[in-house]
Amino acid sequence: MVDCGGLKRKFMATGPGPKLAELLHMSTSSFFGLLARLARLCTMPQGLGPQAKPVLSAPRVAVTMVQAAGKKDRPALPLLDESELEEQFVKGHGPGGQATNKTSNCVVLKHIPSGIVVKCHQTRSVDQNRKLARQILQEKVDIFYNGENSIVYKEKQEAEKKKQERKRRAKETLEKKKLLKELRELSKNVH
Amino acid sequence: MELGGRMLWALLSGPGRRGGTRGWAFSSWQPHLPLAGLLNAKELVSHWTAVFEKRGIPEAQASSEYIVAHVLGAKTFQSLRPELWTQPLTPWQLQCIQELSSRRLQRMPVQYILGEWDFQGLSLKMAPPVFIPRPETEELVEWVLEEVAQSPCAMGTQDGPLILEVGCGSGAISLSLLSQLPQSRVIAVDKGEAAICLTEENAQRLRLLDRIRIVPLDVTLEGSWAHLLPWGPVDLVVSNPPYVFHQDMEQLAPEIRSYEDPLALDGGEEGMDIIIHILALARWILKDSGPRFLHIQRSGPRRGCPADAWPGPQPARVPG
Repeated sequence: MVDCGGLKRKFMATGPGPKLAELLHMSTSSFFGLLARLARLCTMPQGLGPQAKPVLSAPRVAVTMVQAAGKKDRPALPLLDESELEEQFVKGHGPGGQATNKTSNCVVLKHIPSGIVVKCHQTRSVDQNRKLARQILQEKVDIFYNGENSIVYKEKQEAEKKKQERKRRAKETLEKKKLLKELRELSKNVH
Repeated sequence: MELGGRMLWALLSGPGRRGGTRGWAFSSWQPHLPLAGLLNAKELVSHWTAVFEKRGIPEAQASSEYIVAHVLGAKTFQSLRPELWTQPLTPWQLQCIQELSSRRLQRMPVQYILGEWDFQGLSLKMAPPVFIPRPETEELVEWVLEEVAQSPCAMGTQDGPLILEVGCGSGAISLSLLSQLPQSRVIAVDKGEAAICLTEENAQRLRLLDRIRIVPLDVTLEGSWAHLLPWGPVDLVVSNPPYVFHQDMEQLAPEIRSYEDPLALDGGEEGMDIIIHILALARWILKDSGPRFLHIQRSGPRRGCPADAWPGPQPARVPG
């Protein structure tokens, strides 16, 4: 049973949904799904005042949260259409099986409309490589079509921004320390 | 040639050099490689790929990549940290690669050379002559998991399902089922002593010994099933039995013919010798109630369908 009111309060208190999803031991997507379902089921509780935003109008809120999400719980990339893909991998289905022993598990995946080709040999499992190839291709296709608006690009921007911010703050702190030190020196000399 | 270069040359030449019989040693030397320089992973892969190709070793590049990656501590070459591709290798690493590559020149399967391989995400020890799990067999495990997911009640609630695997080999099927079905238990049997030991070792590595019973057993022997009855009727029987036609055994690649246990492959004249016994055994060992499933992996369109020999009320599933 989910405590709607408690959930809302917690959500508003702690911030981004993905973190909350983690707290609830849910994946981000199932968390958003849960919110959407709750939005349909729950009515506005009496506890919240008129100023409080209706947190459970999940779609709108979800979008805002998604934009703030970090890399770990990134939003869904545009899906790939299998009919637009051309795949090549070694997997015996004919007179193979025990009669052969194939170790080349490399998967070559091509996105026909864009011409992007991904080669994946990250693991020793063909199935695993097929999954990974699709994930990598998804990212590349996103960048290809969305350029600066792609999720990957945006994440990089975000990460760079945070890095610059950290640098700036570190510099500030250093300056302050320096200043304090100088002041102390001055006051010593005066005495 | 200075000492360092000479040592390097020796390391790269392989076993053929001293005997002089092969004569490929010098000719395989890539002229652009520095004689007394430091070699990196990428260059070594190129070198050995060329050597393997020249000697007609199948999957030359893949073999070379797996060996080099393994020595550098990774499962595949692509999964290595990119900076390691161009970092010079130590003499010890070069020597390891040399040793492993010379085994590949003897047509030893890569899995035996590395002493390990992955199956359904599990890392298993491999040792000749125990049969190397094939990638197709991973599908077999998927089917079993699907069946179990679809009929949970029939498979037992607390300790379920109880699975019998005939011909466990390295333990691949049994151990992946155990690891993905936390409530399941397995009785794994094999005729080969080496297979019994290897399955035990892999079960221990994966800490699954408490849920598996490994029994040396030849199911073709009269009344062998009697040994299994004390453990009770089982929910499932799984097997990847020998099914190669006897007359085809000769044509198997050297990797298979020379290193893997022929008993794990040879299915007799019709390719059905062991399968028939498994079906007969299954009839006695499977629970009366509930679905009966027998998964046999088979190859080729030639053979007759083993399901014809199935006496049970429900048809046997024979994928492949």
